Formats: sequence, C-alpha cells, structure tokens
Amino acid sequence: MRRVRDWWANPWGQPRFLAFVTWGYMAWSIVPVGIAILFSFNDGRSRSVWQGFSTRWYWGDPNLSVLHDPSMRGALEQSLKLAALDMVIAVPLGVGLALGLTRWVGYGARPVNFLMLFPLVTPEIVMAVSLLLIFVTLYKIPLGTTAQVLGQVTFSISYVVVVVRSRLLSIGRQYEEAARDLGASALGALRLVLMPLLTPAIFASLMVVFALSIDDFVVTDYLSSNESTQTVPIKIYSGVRGTTTPALNALATVMVLATLASVGLAFFVYRRVNSLQRAEAGSGSALREIAALEV
Amino acid sequence: MTENATGAVQLLQLRKTFGDVTAVDGIDVDIRPGEFFSLLGPSGCGKTTTLRLIAGFERPDAGRILLDGVDMAATAPHRRKVNTVFQSYALFPHLDVFDNVAFGLRRQRVRKPEIRGRVESVLRAVRLDGYERRRPVQLSGGQQQRVALARALVLNPSVLLLDEPLGALDAKLRKALQLELKSIQEQFGITFVYVTHDQEEALTMSDRIAVMAGGHVEQIATPAEMYEEPRTVFVADFLGISNLMTVTVEATEGGACRARLGDFVLRAARGELAAHGETRVVIRPERVRVEPYESTGENRVPGMIERVVYLGSSEQLVVRLATGDVVHALFVNDGTVRDFSQGTPVQLHFPADALRVLPSTSAFEPSPEAEPSTAPTMGAAADALGAR
Repeated sequence: MRRVRDWWANPWGQPRFLAFVTWGYMAWSIVPVGIAILFSFNDGRSRSVWQGFSTRWYWGDPNLSVLHDPSMRGALEQSLKLAALDMVIAVPLGVGLALGLTRWVGYGARPVNFLMLFPLVTPEIVMAVSLLLIFVTLYKIPLGTTAQVLGQVTFSISYVVVVVRSRLLSIGRQYEEAARDLGASALGALRLVLMPLLTPAIFASLMVVFALSIDDFVVTDYLSSNESTQTVPIKIYSGVRGTTTPALNALATVMVLATLASVGLAFFVYRRVNSLQRAEAGSGSALREIAALEV
Repeated sequence: MTENATGAVQLLQLRKTFGDVTAVDGIDVDIRPGEFFSLLGPSGCGKTTTLRLIAGFERPDAGRILLDGVDMAATAPHRRKVNTVFQSYALFPHLDVFDNVAFGLRRQRVRKPEIRGRVESVLRAVRLDGYERRRPVQLSGGQQQRVALARALVLNPSVLLLDEPLGALDAKLRKALQLELKSIQEQFGITFVYVTHDQEEALTMSDRIAVMAGGHVEQIATPAEMYEEPRTVFVADFLGISNLMTVTVEATEGGACRARLGDFVLRAARGELAAHGETRVVIRPERVRVEPYESTGENRVPGMIERVVYLGSSEQLVVRLATGDVVHALFVNDGTVRDFSQGTPVQLHFPADALRVLPSTSAFEPSPEAEPSTAPTMGAAADALGAR
C-alpha cells in the first residue's frame, strides 16, 4: 500500500497526478479526431460502423472520393488558393506594419498598437457581418475569391504583426545600429541584418496565416459567392446535412494533415535557424507565439 | 594599416535631452588625434549618450560635433568616419567571423581580394586567425569582443568609439584585454573614445579622462592628475577611496591654507588654496600616516581604530577621529609587522602636501551607488566596510 502511495504521490519523484491529468486531457481531445480519421478509411458508406480498411474515399471511388468528386476537389483547391493568397499578401504587409509600429514613438503609437490587436479579440461573426456589409454596400467588391482573400488578410495581419513585433522587440536596435555604423544604409541594414534575423518569425507567420486561412469558416463563408467559392470547412459543414459518406472524413483528414504539416514545417525551420543564432537575445519567442495563437 | 594623424574630436556645447531628462547638458570636450580618451562616470551620467551622439545614433538638440574640424551633427551614422564597438558586441549572429569583419568593407564596395587580405590581417592583429568560419555563438566572450574590435578596426576609422567593451567579461580576462586594447590602440594610432564606469579601467588605459556626472563634465585630466589633483568632491570620491572632511578655512598664508577641523587646525598645501568659509579637504588613504598616540606635530588628529581590513596585497585601517569623521588608511603589505588592532588609540598624520582643498561648492554630491565596486582592491574594501 505504501509503495503504491509513494508511486502516486511522492514529493521527490515524478509528478504522477499531473501527468495523469495531462494525458487524460490529451486522450479526451485527440480521440474524437482519431476516430473521424479512422472512418475516412472505412470500406463501407457508414461513418459509424467499421467495415474494413480501404482508401476508396480518398481516391479509389470514381465518383464520390475526394479526388473525383468535383465539389470536394473544388473546395480543397479553393482552400489552398485562399491560403496561398492570404500568406503572400498578409505576411509582407504584417512585417511592414510591425517594423513601422516598433519604430513609431510618440503620440498615437500606443492606441494604434492596441488597435492592432483588435481583430484578435473581435468575435469573428461580428467581423464577418461587418465586412460583408461594407464590401457589398460601400466598396462594391464582388463576393467570391476577391472578397474572401481581403477578409482573411484583414484579420491575418494582426497575427503576423504580433509574431513579428515580439521578435523585433527581442532583437532590439543594436544589430541595426551596428550595421549602420559599419556603413550600411537604413535599407541595407534592414535587408542584410534585420531580415535574416527575422526569418524565423516570418516563417512562423506564414504558417500561422496558413493555419488560420485553412481553418477559417465564418468570414470565408459570409464572403463566398456560390458553390464554386466554397472551401473545405464550408463543404464539411454543409455536407453534414446532406448525404454523408466517409469522403467527408477523408476531406477533413486532408485538412488536419495540411495544418499539422505546416506547423511541423514551421517548427523544423525554426529549430534549424535558431540553432544557428542561439546567442541572440530572446530567442524562442516565435514558436511560443505559434503555440499561443494556434486555433 | 597606415599611421593615422587624423581623428580629432571636438564637442562644443553639446546638449541632448530625452523628454524631461537632460542626458548631456552642454559639454565641451576636445579630444586630440591618436589619443586614448575615456569618458568615466556612474550610470546615467551621460557618457553613453555622448558616445552615441559622436557615432550619430542620436541627434543633438544643440551644440556641434567636429571631426577633424568638420561639423558632423547632420551626417548620418553610416557616412561618419567613426566606428563603434558595442557593449553587447552586436555581432551579426547569422554571419561567421569573416563575414562579420568583412561587412563594412563590402558596404564600401572594396574588391574581393583586398577584403580577404584586410580581414585576415586585422584578425591576425587581434589574434583570431583561424577563426574565420566560426559563428559568434561558437566564440567565448573575450573572442567575441575581439571580433567586434576587428570589425570596427578593419575600416581604418579616424575615431573608434568603445562603449564599455569589457563590461561583460570576468575580472581576469578584463585585465588582460585592457593591456591588449591599449597596445592595439598604440599600434593602429587611432583615436579611442572609451566609455566606462570602472575607474580602474580608465586609469589603466587612458591618456586623458573626462569624469562626467549628471550630464556635465566634472574634470578632464590625465589619470595621474585626476587621481592626485581632483578638482571637485565628485571626482575625488569617484576615483578610488577618498577621505573627505568638512573644514572651515581660516586663513591662507605662505602657499598653504589653514583649515579648522573641529578642535584641530590643519595645514593644507594643495588644491583650491584661495577657498574661504566651509569647504572640504580630501586625502588619499595611502597618504595617511598612522602614528603612535603619543606622537605630536602639525596636522595630527587623534582617533581610534575601528576596524582592520586585510586585503592581501594591502591592509586597510578604518579610524574614527575625535571629531567624528571616519578616515581610511592604506598600507602596502611589505612584510612589516604592525601592531594595530581594533580599539587602539592612534594619531593620524595628514601631511600638508597630501591634503587637498576642494572648491567650496560642487554641483554634484556623490551618491552611494555612484561608488564603482569593480576595482578589485579598493572596491572590495569599500564593500567590506559597507561603503561610507
């Protein structure tokens, strides 16, 4: 009895109770996703009764698989297209904004710094409705891909700014000053010194934006025009009501894998760059930013 | 590297404020070509701001910065023939040693073979040849410091600015690098402007020192002058341990000053002999003579030994005078057996030619934290005694 108690609650040993709680939570959150993924490999049409392993819902089935069902394939393409455009537009803009905001001292800087975080705390539905309203009535932007990209960029930028700015603050001004002192122009210092040091943060931003865009449902749905601009989350959501096959699970699995791959890649690149620049002040912030922002 | 006859820096009424804080309050400094010039002072005295003004990282609110007679105030930092060694070194972590040192040369569009030659020769000068392909993280603190130095020296600047470059290193390495820095400065013949809060460092290396406090320059002098003939209370107190005593000047006669310390009359032959009224006199601990209680003569004040501090190479007595003042006396440990113990009454002799009268008014009183505690012997003593 004593030995059991010592194993469970020994102040000098492993924190078993905490480990138990942690693993319990992990299981609780991962099991549903695991089951959904499992049924994407079901041989039959059921999403609840296991009928054997197959990949028919990915590419085997000539009509209903993710690869061959035009609406599913279209949704996947639209999702990836939006994610790519969002990354290409939001990240450079966000980096520029972060650079500007860290250099801006004086009146106005504080409120703007705060407002930058606004999209992070605004309920997404509010943002979606207001964007829809203003795009349609004021800016006359046609719904569909253009509006969707603009909408996603609008809230993605905030995340980029947060990630890049925290990195900039930990880098400080010293490297830039050193570059200027050695004869680099302001632009040269930015290109030759600051940008290489910002690489991990920029990469982290790209991945965060990718994950945000791929996952986004509310804004993307509101700003979509018709069937052709449906993304994967919209397709899955609407599919729940219609005829459902494990192909939907397969589509969801592709999404999960894409997101995991992007985060994994970010982690790998971050580690790689970081091991080369270990001595730098405040390293480690970018990944923590991903962890904090991942939704 | 060619001998460089240029490198004169003149600061004229230089002033810089940050919001409500005046960091540099209209200073005038004249730095000669090829000189090792130190800006010495406690943190917040304006020394680093002065350096940043010369480098061009800050824009002065008023005043002029002349480099070899040309006003640099409106010139951007990358166009000044001035380079900086940063306190944190600021080595580019994504570049190796060679690329760090070559950075400035590449900005000047120097041809490749020449870059290679110059980088290699400067790395030899700082004894880092063979380290070209290392990254800054793979170097020790002392090596990083030398890369930072090489990176600035390779550009042949007229003036090299150093912002506490040894601050992050341990005491022993610092000692070694002090001598190395000095010999590199002599070898390259470049003007060094060296910022430090460590009085010992400044005394060891400098040709001249400017002691700063509260944005002002208190005194500019050679190390010996600064130590032997401090002109203000602040300088006297900031450099090493000083015994400061408040006296009333009664008369000035025959190249000396008669000053009253409580019930005793002292004759002081140094300093501001024309002073009158209440002022301060200073004497260095190593000039104080400790004599048996029975001895008599001029400038003798009785006291009692409060504490004996053994410092290895020297021994320090803390004596409380009959007037209440506390005086430190320092002996070199030369093997003489002295019979001093706590509570022994003694006569302290302040030789007139070691007793220095300071001007009656001084803008800056030294604050307790202004005491630099990095000098091994003096600092340790001050710590042991809980400062003054």
